[in-house]
Amino acid sequence: MAQDIPTSMALHVHGVSKTFVTRPVLRGIDLAVPKGQAVCLCGINGAGKSTLLRIAAGLLRPDGGTVIVNGFDIRKHVEAAKRQIGVISHASMVYPELTVFENLAFAARLYGVAGRAARIEELLAGTALTSFRHDRAGILSRGLLQRLAIARALLHEPVVLLADEAFTGLDADVSERLVAIFDQFVRGGGTILMTTHDTRMGLRCCHRVVILDHGVLVLDAMKDKIDADRFADDYVSYARSMS
Amino acid sequence: MRALWLGLRAIIIKDIVVELRARQVLPTMVVLGMLIVFILRMASEPGSTAAGGTVMGVAALWIAFLFSGLLAQERSFAAEQQNGCMDGLLLAPLDAGTIYLAKLLANVIMLTIFEAIVVPIAILSFNLHVTGGWLRLAAVLLLGNLGISSVGTLFSAAVQLTRTRGSLLSIIVLVILMPMMIPATFALLVLFGTMPVETESLASLRGSGTLAFVGSFKAAIGYMLAFDAIFVVACWLLFGVVVEE
Amino acid sequence: MRRLLFALAFVLLVASTWIGLTQGQIVPVQRNILYAHVPNSVCALLCFVVLLAASIGYLITGKQAWDLVAVASAEAGFVFATILNATGMLFSRAEWNVWWTASPRLVTSAILWFLYAVYLILRVSLPSSQYRRARICAVFGIIAFLDVPLVFVSARFIPDIHRPNFSFDSPWQMVALMLGMAGTGLLAAALIWLRTSLLRSGVELERQLLQ
Repeated sequence: MAQDIPTSMALHVHGVSKTFVTRPVLRGIDLAVPKGQAVCLCGINGAGKSTLLRIAAGLLRPDGGTVIVNGFDIRKHVEAAKRQIGVISHASMVYPELTVFENLAFAARLYGVAGRAARIEELLAGTALTSFRHDRAGILSRGLLQRLAIARALLHEPVVLLADEAFTGLDADVSERLVAIFDQFVRGGGTILMTTHDTRMGLRCCHRVVILDHGVLVLDAMKDKIDADRFADDYVSYARSMS
Repeated sequence: MRALWLGLRAIIIKDIVVELRARQVLPTMVVLGMLIVFILRMASEPGSTAAGGTVMGVAALWIAFLFSGLLAQERSFAAEQQNGCMDGLLLAPLDAGTIYLAKLLANVIMLTIFEAIVVPIAILSFNLHVTGGWLRLAAVLLLGNLGISSVGTLFSAAVQLTRTRGSLLSIIVLVILMPMMIPATFALLVLFGTMPVETESLASLRGSGTLAFVGSFKAAIGYMLAFDAIFVVACWLLFGVVVEE
Repeated sequence: MRRLLFALAFVLLVASTWIGLTQGQIVPVQRNILYAHVPNSVCALLCFVVLLAASIGYLITGKQAWDLVAVASAEAGFVFATILNATGMLFSRAEWNVWWTASPRLVTSAILWFLYAVYLILRVSLPSSQYRRARICAVFGIIAFLDVPLVFVSARFIPDIHRPNFSFDSPWQMVALMLGMAGTGLLAAALIWLRTSLLRSGVELERQLLQ
């Protein structure tokens, strides 16, 4: 379709729908995220948050609609689009038998990162993993694993970071570190779309909040327009009251 | 192009390093292979003739190959299942075909290491004489290896990613590979000197007017080559379909 | 319409059998199983072609209808392959006094049967709530079909020590055979049609229940 692709949009989800056999999970989702913005995607379990993220990452094919990442259509220019995206999920995507360094080196090779060694050092420093570089990933604690996952996700300098339940299972200390890394990423011009159950954390990290309910976005507002307390208690009914 | 080659090489090396460190699958494959050879050796003991022993030896080899190959292939994607690593591969700017080729080559390498250990053991225990030449033997084993790995890699991804119970992979691979087993068995029998390339009765069949490959070693190799070519290409093309969610 | 097909198939098969056993009797008597064996063999292969077409159709369009046709043709093909093997074994027993031997015809029949059997087991074993089941079965359908010509070629490595010589003594035999082929072919088509619509109703019912 002759649609003007807004190039200032880092991530543009247009009319995405997905039905699983009999259950429609997403019904025509429209979401445009400009560069340098962090968006928090909320919704109850099973609302379709992970599904939307997987479609945005190119792992799942939508029944309808398009996803455009930094100007590249994820279905048409698959490789170019994938280069723009970094993903953190609750699974670490890390090989337990390889060391921290080797895992990053492998990811660097997969993405064809130039100046591998330097970039890996940079990220090890950024996630405070330098002292663990020769430890096998299998012995790392959850917090360390998550930091490794972030390092892996940011290795190829993506424009968009998709984070699915990144804070789950992390203690306060590690969560703080994660928030700091996200902040740094966004200040550097990066864009984040994250899902979380921890709404307070979500409000902290993000500029914008969207709520997914029954397959549609029922709320899409900037942080300052939201009453934080009411939101944290029960965002779904809050969203319904707003619309 | 270069990026694809780098990615391919990276995955193969990663697979080998992971396996060398985990030290799980290769020992299991070798022990399974040895057990199969042992069981069939025992089974062929009573009333064994030289020719009968060779036939059992060849059977033992291919059965060991098939079942150990299945182990290797299952490992290949089981390792990706943990920690969601398969997603990690699919998120990368690599096409599915490249992932398939990398996994295929990793499996071929595993099976070759297995061969190097178990084939000499089989030769010793069944008293096989490699009259056809070691190079030819290696060629036949490699062709068999490629055939088993090509189909196995495709379907192990399919079965692993759907998390089903039961040995679905084994029935799939065995049935698709059945036709190749006929010339493969024949080729090994020729190489171990049991089935002479041309005999009286076989020669008489040639005159019966229809195209029969009976007795032709070259045809057996040709067949295995064609089989491998067809299935490597077909599985390579279809891999993307299978890993798609 | 479907009932007409079934009736027609039945008529043709009866006619084929009657003509075969009366006018077109082959000597020795066990060779008359040819009238059942050959049509079943052709139909088993035909069902495979349908399976291939349906598998490719599903992968290209993603429409469930193709998937259902594939399953139906696999089930029909399985039935024909079973009869094919049974008749082959009966013939083998009568002619050579062994129930089964490694002859090209019996080996190819067996592998064909196995291919169908594995398809059906795959179908039943994979979790049905995802699209993956249909996709994987379609992929197996294509790979299995590629296997079929390879099966026939590989059979040429087996010495066919007893090769029965089939030549027609009388035109009636040809007629009986042709009628048998037509009848079995119509039966195959009708079965696939029936099974597909049964499956479709099942899917529809499931959809209604879940909503």
